[in-house]
Amino acid sequence: MAVFLQSLISGVLIGGVYALIGIGLTLIFGVMRVINFAHGDIMMVGMYLTYLLFTLMGVDPFVSVLISFPLMFFFGGFLQKVFINRVLNAVAQNQILLTIGLGLIMSNTVMLIFTSDYKILTTSYSSSTIQVGGGVSISTPLLVSFLITAVITAALGWFLLKTDTGQAIRATAQDRDAAQLMGINVSRMSVIAFGLGAALAGTAGALISPTYYIFPQVGGTFTLKAFVITVLGGMGSVVGATLGGILIGITESMSAVYISSGWKDVVVFVLFLLVLLFKPSGLMGKSRT
Amino acid sequence: MNKSMLKAAIGLIVLAGLLVIPRFVESPYALHMMILLFLSVSQGQSWNILGGYAGQYSVGHAAYFGVGAYTTMMLMYSKQVAPWVGVWAGVAAVIVVALVIGSICFRLRGPYFVLASIAVAEIMRLSAINLTTLTNGAEGILVTEIPAFKIGGRVVTDFLTKVPFYYIGLFLALLTLAIAYWVQHSKLGYYFQAIREDQDAAHSLGIHISVYKNIGLVISAVLTSLAGSFYGIYVGFVDPPTVLGLDVSVQIMLICIIGGMGTIWGPVLGSLLLVPLSEALRSNMITEGLVKIGLVSADSKVGLFLKENLAHAHVLLYGILVVLVILFMPDGLMGFVKKLASRRKREAA
Repeated sequence: MAVFLQSLISGVLIGGVYALIGIGLTLIFGVMRVINFAHGDIMMVGMYLTYLLFTLMGVDPFVSVLISFPLMFFFGGFLQKVFINRVLNAVAQNQILLTIGLGLIMSNTVMLIFTSDYKILTTSYSSSTIQVGGGVSISTPLLVSFLITAVITAALGWFLLKTDTGQAIRATAQDRDAAQLMGINVSRMSVIAFGLGAALAGTAGALISPTYYIFPQVGGTFTLKAFVITVLGGMGSVVGATLGGILIGITESMSAVYISSGWKDVVVFVLFLLVLLFKPSGLMGKSRT
Repeated sequence: MNKSMLKAAIGLIVLAGLLVIPRFVESPYALHMMILLFLSVSQGQSWNILGGYAGQYSVGHAAYFGVGAYTTMMLMYSKQVAPWVGVWAGVAAVIVVALVIGSICFRLRGPYFVLASIAVAEIMRLSAINLTTLTNGAEGILVTEIPAFKIGGRVVTDFLTKVPFYYIGLFLALLTLAIAYWVQHSKLGYYFQAIREDQDAAHSLGIHISVYKNIGLVISAVLTSLAGSFYGIYVGFVDPPTVLGLDVSVQIMLICIIGGMGTIWGPVLGSLLLVPLSEALRSNMITEGLVKIGLVSADSKVGLFLKENLAHAHVLLYGILVVLVILFMPDGLMGFVKKLASRRKREAA
């Protein structure tokens, strides 16, 4: 029972970070109908940013979110304005290829600068835990990152639901043409949405950097995971992505314990295929043709 | 002489040239480059049949490349099965894999199909890592000795030089070209193109969508598997990232996209551009060149940095090329060339 509880808790905690990555992807997809294959690589850029801030200036990874969030927002906005914006009306395949290309450029540029060595960001609390009782313990960095994730998700929810810009973004996601006719500057909303998506991915990168290896190719796995999460939750649904993230986190940690850690990603991908086959609209998505 | 005769004559001359090259060229490096070129053409062309003609963008072709390579190598390694037998076992395995993948993935469209194809290839890669008793896991399979190929007791080749590989590679590249030509000019190819242009319209005209998609997939997968087996035997080593990684899928796709999808010469053009460029980067030719012209001194910080790192940068180059191609010539090099040609014609008229 302790093992079950333990893996459930760590699954939920890591799932919070996954949710952040998934929300970013789903936001971008919702507003622009572009599937961002560079999402994991954007997260990787966030990890290296955190690493740089930590090693050069001694900024704590969790505090560095305050710096990396706006920086990654501008980075995302820049990507949207310069590259993605040009293919908004192209066929989906070309959009996919463009983002794959951008991802390759990011990961290989980082490799040229930092080499492909694995970097580890060791903080005083990297391996500290909190004992809850009953043999169950919680990793401190995971708990802190989960709390930050929760705050960010809540703030994002408030932004999307209550502010004018948030509502304009949601209107653009609902119907781009109608939103434009209502006087919403849809191209600005696209820049903001991509910026937010990148900022969320970068933040997720910052949050996992105390507990995860940092290397240039780390993005690929996370891009795939982000897809699984968003498809599971329903493409374009923020609530769905949050649920999907936590679900994938739990699935991973459960299958690592009860099957084997080597096969845990296979379990996730099989789950993904099953969802694609039997409920392609996802848990929270409306079916779209 | 009319145009088609001229084309045929040029084709024959090039073919004859390619056939006699190993007679005159002894440098193993030059032959190695040609073999890489043939491999790349057959990879790109195999993808072209499904992606270019039928419009099904698979980003999981590493699955077929890797299963072909692994089956041949595993049989050779543990059961001493000759590679020219193992290749067909690989083809059989790939047909099964392709039909399973097809029945799952072809129910999905557009981006969902892309995602499903990646997921399947990743499952294959992770399985190759985890099924250690079969595949040696992350260590990979190394085969140093290939048995000599004999017909009726006479040794045809002992695979000691690069020459037999050159001819096998050439044959493979020509085979994929011929099949692409046949696809483009047959009823099957018209069905494929109809599905690519408008799936629903094709369906309403009585084309059985999933049957033809699966036919395209199987042709494409079998050819990719042959290329994979050839790669495995030629290099003598396979491990999960080099034959089953996502990078492999992306590279296979890029050859075709950069060259021009849905055209016979696109993958050839893409290979002619990508293979020399990435080899030049890999072998540090560019850094040496820069040093030679005197732009960068060999001992300076920049020179050392370039020497150290540029060799790993060929994937960066792929990335830059894709972005440029998508933004500025979405129909690939072939489309760009055609556009230039038609503009010239218009100006001349």
